Amino acid sequence: MSEQTPGNHNQNGEGAGAGTMKPGFHNTDGQGIAGHGSFFQATDLSKEDAIKATDWVRKHVDRRTVDLGDRMDDVREHMYELEKDGQIIIHRIEDQHEPISVNTLFGWEKKVPTKQLWHHKSCGQCGNIPGYPTSLLWFMNKFGFEPGKDYLDETDQTSCTAWNYHGSGIGNVESLAAVFLRNFHQSYVSGKQHGHELGHFFPLVHCGTSFGNYKEIRKYLVESAELREKVTKILGKLGRLVDGKLVIPEEIIHYSEWVHVMRNRIASELQTIDVSNIRTTSHVACHYYKMVHEDAVYDPSVLGGNRTAIITSTAQALGAQVIDYSTWYDCCGFGFRHIISEREFTRSFTMDRKIRVAREEANADVMLANDTGCVTTMDKNQWIGKAHNQNFQIPIMAEVQFAALACGADPFKIVQLQWHASPCEDLVEKMGISWDEAKKTFQEYLKEVEAGNIEYLYNPELAYGGKV
Amino acid sequence: MQQIFDDIRGDFRYDHELNGCLNCGICTATCPSAQFYDYSPREIVQLLWTENVEQIYDAMQEKIWACAQCMTCAARCPFKNSPGGLVAIMREVAIKHEMQSAKDVLRPFGRVMLKLITTGNQLSPDMIQPDHFPDWGPNIQKVEGDLRILRKAIPVKTLQTVETAWEVSLKTSVEMYTIWEMTGVLKSLELMDENLFDVIEDFIDEKREDYEDWLEEQEEEDDE
Repeated sequence: MSEQTPGNHNQNGEGAGAGTMKPGFHNTDGQGIAGHGSFFQATDLSKEDAIKATDWVRKHVDRRTVDLGDRMDDVREHMYELEKDGQIIIHRIEDQHEPISVNTLFGWEKKVPTKQLWHHKSCGQCGNIPGYPTSLLWFMNKFGFEPGKDYLDETDQTSCTAWNYHGSGIGNVESLAAVFLRNFHQSYVSGKQHGHELGHFFPLVHCGTSFGNYKEIRKYLVESAELREKVTKILGKLGRLVDGKLVIPEEIIHYSEWVHVMRNRIASELQTIDVSNIRTTSHVACHYYKMVHEDAVYDPSVLGGNRTAIITSTAQALGAQVIDYSTWYDCCGFGFRHIISEREFTRSFTMDRKIRVAREEANADVMLANDTGCVTTMDKNQWIGKAHNQNFQIPIMAEVQFAALACGADPFKIVQLQWHASPCEDLVEKMGISWDEAKKTFQEYLKEVEAGNIEYLYNPELAYGGKV
Repeated sequence: MQQIFDDIRGDFRYDHELNGCLNCGICTATCPSAQFYDYSPREIVQLLWTENVEQIYDAMQEKIWACAQCMTCAARCPFKNSPGGLVAIMREVAIKHEMQSAKDVLRPFGRVMLKLITTGNQLSPDMIQPDHFPDWGPNIQKVEGDLRILRKAIPVKTLQTVETAWEVSLKTSVEMYTIWEMTGVLKSLELMDENLFDVIEDFIDEKREDYEDWLEEQEEEDDE
């Protein structure tokens, strides 16, 4: 074995001691590789020692361990202090919400409510990929949740407006904060008209960008008295203060966190289709785990806790094959503004960095995601690839849609795959579901719809404040 | 020029987003836009960190609009900088100073802004049509049929809409306008695109009148 040890490079170099480099000592002797000086020398480690050294690095450096200690203040602690000072009201997660605890990247405990949820919809999902919300509501019904009591979907909410902000710069922290507080105040009081106490329904955010934006804005609100003062005036004018105070939710919860904590119940109580022959890859939304990343959910039992647990955990629980690929960390190429006005960037990035890699490296049957922008980008941009001989195709959908399929949901009526441009047909067939039969049934159903005979997941009057 | 830098530095988020820079380049290494544009998050951070006012101004002429706002840079930075967050501040300041780059970039985005400000939703089914996105191919829906009927076949009442992603109540829309006005968003829009602003203002006036009528009707019903 060589005497070279880490931090002990170039012991024989003139003027160079352990771990040091002589000033101005450059690659003059022809050794080393371009970009490195000659002080870099081969370690000559034995294979066993090399593995040992690499393992050490992986364990200590390359691993995003779940517990990173006290690197950052927990925003919730500051919220509790503000509440104690009488400045805000925290919309708390109570026992009635039947929460399940999970760990975040920084080892913080996060309570995920499983019941009495106020569906904060996503403009992208609802406008473009409605199979997200329908699959989610379908699951809630399957678990016996009572609409109007265990969940609420209503018209009194707006988009978070963050897509526009990130795309255009039109908007500001104050407007984003006011929209956040307006929508979540509505969630706090929404149970009243249905005969429940304040705080009965807890917000469940469907969109990845809304989730990231709301968490970022919450931090600014908690930190800045000036911002709180400004938005208090606005919320006051809207009549959306409670006892003169702002209402801020204890946790911001993303729908995929609900799916994550319910995954074992989904698999054990509802799954009807064996998906062990399906190769799945995951694409987690950047704004889920890269924005306010300390709050994203990690689980040591999912890919060793090296990646956020969301999506992969669900595929695992359903018994599907989980296949990795090298560009898992890349964004999809959505870019907010780019998908509208710089589409060459969007489609090139998604085809080169995501679809091709998932196809070539993972040979995936499906790519599962948890945000509208990602599904839209990767779903819609495959057709044009043919113009550049990029004949890579892969079905793209949310994990909740895939889970619904595995639990016997109708691919059209519930999972709403008719809105997807990517080739979902082969996947559905591989799962043992007849695409053609389902399509035929759906086309018959469209005639019923035309005649006014529409099927609903819940009493439609509820959306307007009507009783169950 | 100095005022532009002062406005960027004066944003209360600035100290969150910029903590120091070793020029390590990990942000640029993982940046999607850096692969396609003359754009580097490392450069943005360096310009701000070294207070290079002239080049900051130059970067705001074009480069800042390349950022995809994915925040991969922020998640990776060992110094907890957020180049993407700094770009967001720079874009706001570019709008405030009526920079041409902002006007040029926002023009094709006008449709989304119109939709957002007049409906409270940013995307709607009638926007996702083959005519608007020819590169998405002929089959962006797998079932032939009238859009209205296809939307009615979604088993969720709030989603059975065509011009909005979901149905937003009138009261909610009007509350949204109040937020836009009180936070200066409408004013920013006016600086960027006066025509779009005029169209939006007409929509707002109409909706506010509708809301007033609705309130009056409610009062009359209550009196009866």
